[in-house]
Amino acid sequence: MNLPVWQELYESIGPDRFELISVAEDSQGEAAAGKWFDKAKPTFRCIVDPTHRISSLFGWVNVPSGAWIDEEGRIVRSNEGVFPDETTIKFGLGKVRLGNDAFAHATRDWIERGPESEFVWSAEELAAHLKPVDDDTLLAEPTFKLALHFESTGDSERALRHFDAAQHLAPDNWNYHRQGWTHKGTVYAARQVLKKSAYLRKNTDKNYYDPMELPGENHRRFTEPEWFWTPAVNGLKRLLRREPSAA
Amino acid sequence: MIVLTSDSSSDIAQRSDDTDSLWVRVDQLRQATGWQLKPEGVCLGEICVPLFEPEREAWIADADDWVWFCYSAFADKIGQKHVRDGDVWSLGSVPEVRRAGLESGLAPDFGMTDRNGDTVRLSDLRGRKVVLFTWASW
Repeated sequence: MNLPVWQELYESIGPDRFELISVAEDSQGEAAAGKWFDKAKPTFRCIVDPTHRISSLFGWVNVPSGAWIDEEGRIVRSNEGVFPDETTIKFGLGKVRLGNDAFAHATRDWIERGPESEFVWSAEELAAHLKPVDDDTLLAEPTFKLALHFESTGDSERALRHFDAAQHLAPDNWNYHRQGWTHKGTVYAARQVLKKSAYLRKNTDKNYYDPMELPGENHRRFTEPEWFWTPAVNGLKRLLRREPSAA
Repeated sequence: MIVLTSDSSSDIAQRSDDTDSLWVRVDQLRQATGWQLKPEGVCLGEICVPLFEPEREAWIADADDWVWFCYSAFADKIGQKHVRDGDVWSLGSVPEVRRAGLESGLAPDFGMTDRNGDTVRLSDLRGRKVVLFTWASW
């Protein structure tokens, strides 16, 4: 939710040089996303997308995701985890730190140098980065929409049933998981994110976000939590190993 | 009966004598699904899918004093996924549209209303660079 950082970036690159469009993927619509937009006072275009239409169209499975679209309407880059700067998300006794300014630097380079930018993808590179689509993931999309429909009509039981089905059909789609879990509240959703990401970290080679393949990008991109006791535990470990402190 | 697509939700009539399939009244077909019946077939924008004679006979029917089109059978033909719960039908993306767009490297077009009430249509922004990003409050 680093909309103020996006606003700074937009102003410093120059609003006359490109269009910046921000899309909130929130089933609760304006009620959930509005205050964040209001607080940032963005001068770029802001869209609230309760049915996650943009993620479906662009084949994105997590937020934030983003694309560069050139003057001819071609996608010349599409990435997950496009934080414009390091972003700290706090929850209870812990926090996660995600991203850094790698995407912002690359975006500035593309706006300034266009096709000469080393970060531009060809159509072949874009195709190679698209998420594979099989029958189950195709079926997950209308199933997720069915869940959103029942959520909007207040039929919680049916909403949860279809969220669950969509999550099983597309297990790698974090949007389906997190939006579905949020139906039971943000605390429940945060716990589920930590649980699932810890399981993946331990048992698979899957990333929470696919690497952006940009120089200097932050590799702590796996929702690895830092608890309030983490510095003390790390200090103790260093002491036991008789290592000098990081400071 | 409600039909959900990627960008719409339509409350439309239901054929009384067959509720197992998704029959859409021909005059409501475009509103509910985006497709419409034309002499050359079933069309969505510039995409037209021809209907063979047996399909025309089976999928276009008179009932309840209206003409109906069996959309679920057509969706199966074009590989469009659909799922239902009671009288709510939800349609997946149209594979042909997906192929014409994302898989060819072209940004899929969309028209959506922004928070200022203005329509943002990607195709209207040709000639300018666009950076598009998603986020969420959750």
